[in-house]
Amino acid sequence: MKKSLALVSLLAVLAAGCASGGGGGDSASKTLRFTGPEDPKTFQPVIDGFQAKNPGVKVAYTQIPFDQLNSTLQQRLAAKDDTIDVYTVDQPRVAALATRGFLVDLSDWKDRVKQAALPAQYEVNEHNGKLWSVPVWTSDQFLFYNRTLLKKAGITPPPSDPAKRWTWEQTIEAGKKAQAEGGAQWAFIPEQIEQYYQLQSLAESLGGGSGITGPDMLTPDLTTDGWVKAMTWYRDLFANKLAPRGVGSFQTSPLFSEGKVAFFAGGPWDVGVFSGAKDLDWGVAPYPYFKGGKQVTPTGSWSWGINPASENQQLARKFLEYAALDPEGNLLTTKATTIIPSNRAAFEKYVPTLDALGGDKSKGVGAILTYDADHTAVARPRSVGYIQFEDIMTKAFADIRNGAEPKTRLEQATQEVKTAWAQLR
Amino acid sequence: MTGASPRGRSVGRPVLVSLAFLAPALVALLVLRLIPAVMAFASSLSHTSLVTGETTFVGLGNYATLFADPTFLQSVRVTLVFSLIVNPLQIAAALALAVLFTRRFAGVRFLRVLVILPIAVPPAVSAAIWSVAYRPDGLLNSVLSVLGVPPQPFLTSPGQALWSLIVLLSWIGVGYWMMFLIAGLQDIPTSLYEAAAIDGASAWARFWHVTLPLLRRPLAFVLVADTVSNFLVFAPVQMLTNGGPQGSTNVTMFDIFTRAYSVGDLNLAQAEVMLLVLLVLAVVIVQFRLLRGRD
Amino acid sequence: MSRRLYALLGTIIGLAFALPLLWALSSSLRGGSEIFRHISRLSWETLVPVDPTLGNYASLVTGDFGRAILNSLLVALVTVAVGLLISAAAAFGLSAVRFRGQGALFAIVVLSFLIPFDAIAIPLATLFRDWDLTNTYAGLILPGLGHGLAIFLLRQFFLAIPKDLVEAARIDGLGWFGVFARIYLPLSRPALVSAGLTLFIFQWQSYVWPLLIGTDAAHQLGPIALANMRGQFTIDYGQLFAGSIVLTVIPLLIILRFQRHFTQSIATTGLK
Repeated sequence: MKKSLALVSLLAVLAAGCASGGGGGDSASKTLRFTGPEDPKTFQPVIDGFQAKNPGVKVAYTQIPFDQLNSTLQQRLAAKDDTIDVYTVDQPRVAALATRGFLVDLSDWKDRVKQAALPAQYEVNEHNGKLWSVPVWTSDQFLFYNRTLLKKAGITPPPSDPAKRWTWEQTIEAGKKAQAEGGAQWAFIPEQIEQYYQLQSLAESLGGGSGITGPDMLTPDLTTDGWVKAMTWYRDLFANKLAPRGVGSFQTSPLFSEGKVAFFAGGPWDVGVFSGAKDLDWGVAPYPYFKGGKQVTPTGSWSWGINPASENQQLARKFLEYAALDPEGNLLTTKATTIIPSNRAAFEKYVPTLDALGGDKSKGVGAILTYDADHTAVARPRSVGYIQFEDIMTKAFADIRNGAEPKTRLEQATQEVKTAWAQLR
Repeated sequence: MTGASPRGRSVGRPVLVSLAFLAPALVALLVLRLIPAVMAFASSLSHTSLVTGETTFVGLGNYATLFADPTFLQSVRVTLVFSLIVNPLQIAAALALAVLFTRRFAGVRFLRVLVILPIAVPPAVSAAIWSVAYRPDGLLNSVLSVLGVPPQPFLTSPGQALWSLIVLLSWIGVGYWMMFLIAGLQDIPTSLYEAAAIDGASAWARFWHVTLPLLRRPLAFVLVADTVSNFLVFAPVQMLTNGGPQGSTNVTMFDIFTRAYSVGDLNLAQAEVMLLVLLVLAVVIVQFRLLRGRD
Repeated sequence: MSRRLYALLGTIIGLAFALPLLWALSSSLRGGSEIFRHISRLSWETLVPVDPTLGNYASLVTGDFGRAILNSLLVALVTVAVGLLISAAAAFGLSAVRFRGQGALFAIVVLSFLIPFDAIAIPLATLFRDWDLTNTYAGLILPGLGHGLAIFLLRQFFLAIPKDLVEAARIDGLGWFGVFARIYLPLSRPALVSAGLTLFIFQWQSYVWPLLIGTDAAHQLGPIALANMRGQFTIDYGQLFAGSIVLTVIPLLIILRFQRHFTQSIATTGLK
């Protein structure tokens, strides 16, 4: 009985919603509900900008803790929760979210997005030939170095010119020297130390592929030469004490800030973090590649999408348009944080800001960013099974880091991915 | 609570009296635990294709899938080993601490609170603290080096990770279980100890013949409740080891959490929940039988 | 063993349990990159911040953290008050009188706490959504009320209350509710405190559930506000530890406040 009562009231609410939606349109005072993992301060500028352009409209933002975001969204979207209108989408999850009906089809914006976005930032939003989300942020990886430690060891820092990009071999050799003669505790640390986002680039540089193949992108391909070689290199990094075991992703950048690390692979957000670290003398160079291999840099970040259960579809589209397609709005999304805008025009305005963020230290980062976006950025694979894949890969990377035999562990991961993907069908 | 009103000496209708007192709790348990559990069971019998979004009835298919999945089978092994170590350890430690902290000495009240306190620390915080402690270059190893012990790998080694988690979980839980045993110890009349002392019983004999038998009920509670809670632990695993290295800390509850929340395969996760509940139920039934047998 | 030896042993153990929290406390008083600087080599600086700052606590005040703490307190305290009443009544029903079928009812109670709450939270959230309980205090409080463990705990202690005491009271004309309220409850202070703490902690730490049924800024709870301090790319550890200390000190004060009830018992209340 209670349930039927709830049903009746739900219907009443729905009816009321339809009535006001049909009559009042978007102009009347309306609230758009937006959900994401960032601190509210991050999105305040873009929300303010949007509200100023659309009088009477209010955007209410709710933050969900980052490590619970995907699972929480999954459960709430599956339950057709209409308290979410717009939400942030981790780009490699677009395919899975679209397949399960959690995203509104935005295919009529295809050409506009293609024109407005940076290369490698259009496709990530597509699945089965349709467009499901709009790119707001992207990312890149750089090689940060500790100037003081390198100087002590008599090492010439890597040049910031993308044409003179160092190889991993060069980086490790210099790092070892900094350990032996410069007093560095660690030679080289990749920031996202067990994450696919970062480690995909190693295998890709050696021609190992993304690890996923097949016409429907549901065949694991993790035992290629490139993958085995890359993972062997990665294991040795820790086995030879060039990088620390047992330190999680979020504890890596503090190590660099404390001056214990010679080389550090990190993202644009680190430019902001390191600029704030006192007594730290650092510089930035392009992300390395393997000798004789391809130049590959990680990329991708967040897109935004619309919940099909939302009752504010038109307004939601307007908000997305402003945040992704309008350079002014897109630039505002990066005003309170250090992340790269996906919109080409906003990107060009943003580059000098990032370059100047750390004074002399961060000089050159803008040129690297521009070069990488056009030439070396390789996005994560677009597969319906990406979520399962990523979970299994994180565990495999952790094991290899702790000394597991790379080939056997990759074979095991292949089996695990196969089992997990069999469940998808 | 009208059923409780009849006054007088009639012992009659105890069922109604009892039910009146039980009603609110039974409704709460039914609505908040058992009905969702039945829904979970129903969902464990179907399969939703994540590719097409279609849901089909598969009977016990999910259960068959689990029994063929090496990850699940390993998680059951890990869970059993973990339970066999952690439960006796925690109960013995809680009992020893309860005996110590019911003595009278300076500062005992405050010290007792320090031991109970970790249960109140948010899991995210204990994980943050202990991840730093267990780092190979972290606090514990620097303490060990002062004592002349070589650095240990802790969470990075398949051989030590489970033990490291057990230490962390005991830091969190032992004081909590101690609290129930202290409440029980307080109820043992001091006259019994005095009588035993007059009979010339040693401290150990007094513990064995007076304390333990009279502590039977709180101890039974702690045994069952601790066992159940340890079967359902997953937060520290999620935050510290992610089930690794090499699956050595992948307890079943964490496996369930991964499937339900991270990967989003709810049907399979619910089947695994049912299997875990059955396992815990079997263990608890055995415990109740043993406790009754001793009466 | 002498009293002094117990005191020594007790102090060492108490400090060992407190040490990790002391480190968190000292970290909460450090600025930015100071936190991990002294963990690799033990020195006095590991536990004592050289240049203590209250900046981390100050930045807590500016965010939503205060609101979240108040929400958490409200939710936890209501849960304890209502939950204790429900649980104690149920435990009374399971221990004061004997009847056929009681075993089965007790089995339901035990069964209900064998079910991992986080696993059934997803179907429960679906029910709550149907009942329009998303983003309400009721939606946050209700799941804490059905706590089988608290009932089990109280029943174990109620069983220890001598039956002749009940008989005598009944002969004196006391109703069942009177027996419950005037004999059972006062005699079980230590158990009630323990059960209350159990209910409190369940809510004080609740994390997955509030996210599932929705947490707008007005209904945000402490642990979620704490998790929200973690940025996408970096964590401000100083602020995290400051928030943690606040989230730990509140239960500490509560435990200290109820500490004296541990020493009360049937033996000391003079009823036996």
